[in-house]
Amino acid sequence: MMMQQRVKRVGAAQEGESYFPLAGGHRLIFIIVIMPDSWMHLCSLVLLLSCTHINAKTVGQTSSPAEPVGQLPADVRSVVLKGRSYTDHVEVSSPINLTLQCTWTGSGSKVDNVTGYWSKDGEDIDNSHTTLRPENQQFNLQRMFTIKDEESLGKYSCMFGNEAKIDFVLAVPQISDVRDKPIISYVGDSVVMVCKMDDAKPSPKTWLWFKVNHTEKEEIDATAEPQRYEIKMDGKVTKLLVHNLTHLDSGLFHCGAVYAISTAMSHVELKVITIYEPLKPFVAIVVEVLVLVAVILMFERSLAKKRKAAASGNHVGDTEHATNAPAATTTTTTPQAEANGLEETTSTRQRKM
Amino acid sequence: MASVRTAADRREDGPEGPDGGWGWVLVAALFVSTSLVFGLMRSLGIFFVEFVQYFDESAQAISWISSTGLAAQQFFSPLGAALSNAYDTRLVVMAGGCLAALGLILASQATCLAHLYLTMGVISGLGWGLVFIPMVATVMSSFTRRRALALGVAFSSIGLSSFAFNPLFQLMVERYAWRGALLILGGLSLNIVPCGALIPTRPRPKDAEKVSAETASSGGGVLRRVSSYLELSLLCQRSYLTYTMAITLLNAGYFVPYVHLVAHSRHAGFSQYQAAFVMSAAGAADIFGRVASGWFSDLGHFRLIHLMTVCTALAGLFIMLLPVSTLWGSYAALMAVSLLYGFCSGTLTSLVFTVVPMVAGVERMMGALGLLQLIESWGGLLGSPLSGLLKDVTGDYMASFVVSGSFLILSSLIMTTLPHYFSCTDPPPVQGPSQEDKCEGLASETERMNQTPCEWRDEEALSHCRPPG
Repeated sequence: MMMQQRVKRVGAAQEGESYFPLAGGHRLIFIIVIMPDSWMHLCSLVLLLSCTHINAKTVGQTSSPAEPVGQLPADVRSVVLKGRSYTDHVEVSSPINLTLQCTWTGSGSKVDNVTGYWSKDGEDIDNSHTTLRPENQQFNLQRMFTIKDEESLGKYSCMFGNEAKIDFVLAVPQISDVRDKPIISYVGDSVVMVCKMDDAKPSPKTWLWFKVNHTEKEEIDATAEPQRYEIKMDGKVTKLLVHNLTHLDSGLFHCGAVYAISTAMSHVELKVITIYEPLKPFVAIVVEVLVLVAVILMFERSLAKKRKAAASGNHVGDTEHATNAPAATTTTTTPQAEANGLEETTSTRQRKM
Repeated sequence: MASVRTAADRREDGPEGPDGGWGWVLVAALFVSTSLVFGLMRSLGIFFVEFVQYFDESAQAISWISSTGLAAQQFFSPLGAALSNAYDTRLVVMAGGCLAALGLILASQATCLAHLYLTMGVISGLGWGLVFIPMVATVMSSFTRRRALALGVAFSSIGLSSFAFNPLFQLMVERYAWRGALLILGGLSLNIVPCGALIPTRPRPKDAEKVSAETASSGGGVLRRVSSYLELSLLCQRSYLTYTMAITLLNAGYFVPYVHLVAHSRHAGFSQYQAAFVMSAAGAADIFGRVASGWFSDLGHFRLIHLMTVCTALAGLFIMLLPVSTLWGSYAALMAVSLLYGFCSGTLTSLVFTVVPMVAGVERMMGALGLLQLIESWGGLLGSPLSGLLKDVTGDYMASFVVSGSFLILSSLIMTTLPHYFSCTDPPPVQGPSQEDKCEGLASETERMNQTPCEWRDEEALSHCRPPG
């Protein structure tokens, strides 16, 4: 828990000082604090990052100098740019004093100075224009921002004239696991809808569920209708159970992960269908089965009839032959026996297989 | 299948035996019904994800559904065999198909996990038990020379259908949720009924036994009939018992790689896609092995039991090599061993059944197969939890794979103790007992076996050597 506090006292200077790299695995932070004269009597601190809160008296850029800003933790984020532009995504879950540092290595052409300034969401921040002179072939620009509510989040850009720009996109941790296909359920049945925050991201303080009714988001109050809605939350996972579904429940549901600073939203679509939907293919298959069985049975019956006709035809033919040859009485038994044997053979063939 | 073989039958079979013709239609019917029984069972995993979320239960509790279904199928196999012996196979299979479908349809209305155990597990399992063994026995009795090939082709449906069913079930669950998907699955299972309708009807067999049983006292007569339908006399026969024990051990080790291969590959450091690809490749090799073994064993160069022993031992060896192949982190080695393992395990599936008539005789094949399924199920019940336990205790899969492989090698060793193992020709099949006693004259049976000097390998031709009775 190292806390290195560096008090930077900047005179009416436009250039800043660069700091040592931080020890251990901490991020290297170059901060060039350009502080106007009027803030001279206030301290700005660059703190080594640690996991605990650090008491720091810092300056908010919007409030008047005399007003102390609560006891917010501080963090530093820095980017070294070698090209023309870069975007860095920063996850902010609770109010923080964030110092953003930009370092630019220059465009190759030797320039004497460049105008550096900050902008938020495309709009330039007043009083942030300064003329920068290169130091060790690098231009450094830094500023501390107080991120205290949802409006403070957004895209902060540090600009080096028109040559280079570094964007810091500040946002709450987003829910990345979004189900794109709707959840299907049945009228009268229950359904479970799940929202999950990534393991790597911090746990939200709580979860909220909303139902979209005609483009209006309504919060679902589980305590008001306990038989219908049930909200379970367990850290990074939340489940919404809806019982006794009706067609009206179809639509979009939003889950919100509530953090100190803002809420991250995700959505789940629900579709409620009746039992007749799957019944259609089911009945089609049953009909197909019945047709197949009927065809097989009829085919077999016709085969059996043919065999019977063939067998009886042979039998009749042999007896006629026998009567026509009275001399060969002893031989009459053989053809008959043969006919019987033939019949026996065919029926046993049927039986055996 | 028919116990009363008339002179006309024998004259007609001759050296040819029944082969082809309607037999191949039955192979197609077996293909479809096997895919609807085992192919369906293998693809139920897609539903389990939905069940875990809907019923809020652990994955282990949900996995018991398919375990119950498989156990019920194997447990009720002797019942299916006995009913087929007593009544008509066609009716038994059609009834089994209806039961399997009913179980799935009822499961679509389940409101708690116990309902699923009862419907998808017990009722569908009962239906599957009434379908599988009777159909296999029917197909086997329709062929003599091409028996293994017919079975191999039919059993290849298991692997092929799981390729088709996985995306299909996924689609059904996305469109209709698990309830609708189960309902449609029930309808699909009804297709077993026309497959059963393709089996030719036959008049009630074993009429002679019935007549004699009726003359005897009612109590003893019923018991005798039941035991003859179940072919319980086989349990007194040493060769059958030996074979059954060998297959039980085989079952203990056989399923372990299927269950643990993906996890083991991930454990060895490969990505999810690589692990899944290894599994799919092994599955494809399995399909190929089934058909190849069927074709090769029917060529007749080797005795079936010798082929069986070799394939079992090889499969055991490759299972043991699986964890060794990942020791050096080589994906190619893992893939190669998995392919070889898949091929060998595929060769086993059709051989297991084709050896049964060698051991038990064609007449008692139905009951023999039923009892075999029942007894070998214990192997599966013991083997899988044991491998899971070994993995939990030792921390990786080396021990469980080695133990499973050793089960298979032990099984092949037991097979070598079968009577007349080391002769070049098949011994004549053992006669069934006469009606009076169950275990009449075991000694006299073996005497008869040793006495008849038969040179022909073909079993049907051996019928000429059979002593009267």
